[in-house]
Amino acid sequence: MDVTRKTSEVPEEPTATAVTERVWRAGRLEPMPIRKLPDAPPSLHILGPTVFLVALGVGMGESYMWPRLVLVFGPDIRWLFMVGVTLQAFVLLEMARYAMATGESIFFGAARIFKPLMWFFYVAAILIYMWPGHLSAGAAAFEEVSGIPWQATACVALIFVGVLFSMLSVIYNFLEKLLGLLIGLLVVGTSVIAAIVGSWDDLGNTLSGMFAFGYFPDKALSEAWFPIVVGSIAFAGPSGMQQMWYTLQLRDSGAGMGAHIPKIRGLRAAAEAESMPSRGFMFDTSDPAEMQKWKGWRKWVTFDALLLFWGITMLVTISFTVLAMSAARTNPDVAGLIEGGDREAALKAMSDAFASAGSPILGTLFFGFIALIGLNATLGLFDSFSRGQADMTYYFVPGAKRFSMSRLYAGFLWGVITFGILILLFGPADGPAGILDILAFLSTFAMGAYCVVLLLVNNKLLPKPIRPGPVRNVIIGFGAVFYLGLLFYSLVRFGVVVG
Amino acid sequence: MAVEVKQLAEFSVPAASVGAAAGLIAGGLAAFVGQPFGWAVVTGLGLGLPLMVFGAGYAVLIGFGKVPAGVFAPAAVYWVIGFPLALLVHSVVTAWVVTGSPGLPPEPWKFLAFRALVSMGFAIGFLWMHEQLGRHWWPRILDHNVYARRTVEQYVHLASTFKARKSA
Repeated sequence: MDVTRKTSEVPEEPTATAVTERVWRAGRLEPMPIRKLPDAPPSLHILGPTVFLVALGVGMGESYMWPRLVLVFGPDIRWLFMVGVTLQAFVLLEMARYAMATGESIFFGAARIFKPLMWFFYVAAILIYMWPGHLSAGAAAFEEVSGIPWQATACVALIFVGVLFSMLSVIYNFLEKLLGLLIGLLVVGTSVIAAIVGSWDDLGNTLSGMFAFGYFPDKALSEAWFPIVVGSIAFAGPSGMQQMWYTLQLRDSGAGMGAHIPKIRGLRAAAEAESMPSRGFMFDTSDPAEMQKWKGWRKWVTFDALLLFWGITMLVTISFTVLAMSAARTNPDVAGLIEGGDREAALKAMSDAFASAGSPILGTLFFGFIALIGLNATLGLFDSFSRGQADMTYYFVPGAKRFSMSRLYAGFLWGVITFGILILLFGPADGPAGILDILAFLSTFAMGAYCVVLLLVNNKLLPKPIRPGPVRNVIIGFGAVFYLGLLFYSLVRFGVVVG
Repeated sequence: MAVEVKQLAEFSVPAASVGAAAGLIAGGLAAFVGQPFGWAVVTGLGLGLPLMVFGAGYAVLIGFGKVPAGVFAPAAVYWVIGFPLALLVHSVVTAWVVTGSPGLPPEPWKFLAFRALVSMGFAIGFLWMHEQLGRHWWPRILDHNVYARRTVEQYVHLASTFKARKSA
């Protein structure tokens, strides 16, 4: 193992004149001290930080955008979804590699390679995620069920999230439990609804479509549809910067070397927060016992990636696709509305179709689940955004270390909430119309960019024995080409970014 | 024997609750959207009761140590049978209420096969919620319930592994 030795003076303890500490030098920033890798938990335990990724990832892409494409192009278009989600499962595993080996976020890794890379993500996150538009789908579904105007629900939800996260002692533990329960409810409910209204033929078509590799009808290459297809691929599973935030949740859950980093606390308990180390740690990869533990951690995260992330994302999309096909069969108008792209009208028509076809409760239940998906995404998004910005600010904005990480987290949380409420009351929820294209571009560009960053950090900053193999590198490299290629093709060919 | 049954029933509360939740959502929302009270109750019970019974059956298997708590594969195998049957009961009951006489759905094998595939998802959700509810319920009854004590011990063993890695 390429570990160098650094001699550091310890002035507080005059008796110990010099302490030799083994460190791992990674990039240009401070070297990582060598510490013990903790034992991996058995894969038995079904809950893990992947619930955040599932909560964020299962959103409009799964419940609306892909069912829409299936109605327009037929079930065979779903092979693209299969490619998108599988690619994201590999991204998850590679994000976890760096975070578990070092206890650092992927943002810190990017800064070790080249600081401007990290600043790009810092600015992009603010531009993409400060707009409260993502609240609208869930809150609008709630309006259908309850009659309460969606802006009111959205404002109350924003304040509720802020107060809740400020009151908690340790935010991660609570959110993991809450999201676990909500996603459990979502998965149980979605399975039950799909089982009631769907049929064998719908499912057969949907499943066989996932393996129709290469199917791409001419219509999908048109100016009207290509950007929408690209946008849908980017929204298959976690989109934008959600995978990068996952590294922070892994760290806070104590996975791998994250066990050596203190947890973020709510504002009320911020004073109790332990001091944050100025960088991550590395374990001794030349020690076979440590490598054995590392294998245990990789097994643990692979279980999470396959069963929880890939499995649940597939299940929810397949269920919603089956629902859309069943609704379109019951009421042909639904197909027209869904294809037309008016999301609210389409969801309402689907709900009505279920109400008239199956048992009358299904229509309401359908909206209930859209609202639940919105709530999960909102809880996850506010936490993740604040976590990511607090992390980068703490380590890289000069003077920010005066505040604790927990206080910076609270600052970003309340900042985005205040801005969100002002925009909901007075401005365009998705962002000004003039910059919508730029935001969509940034979101997809960030995905291509993080594939490049992953290749760099995992191959340049980690010790050789724990670097990814050639197959993983090729897959992540394909991801970079895939996202950036589709994005720029759409831009050059049609002058439109993504839909 | 009676004590054993009582203990098993008490131990099965979280598993049965997941089925009850599915039934309650169905029945509660039926009432909420203005359906007659009787209809709401029938829908809720038709779905909730069979899922509660199968859920309790799964908990009994855990109680007897036949399947480990919180592991996916046995839960998936269990529900691939239990979930389609529960929905078959729901379908028969619904047909009974609507037409006045109980009847099987058309193409019953296809009906069961489709639900068997969807059951994978239900199994994940069930396992997840079961663990979440159980971790609050079992510690409260473990002083007089041998099944709860055994299961909590499994989880304590797991927690000690977590603790060990925290202090490493």
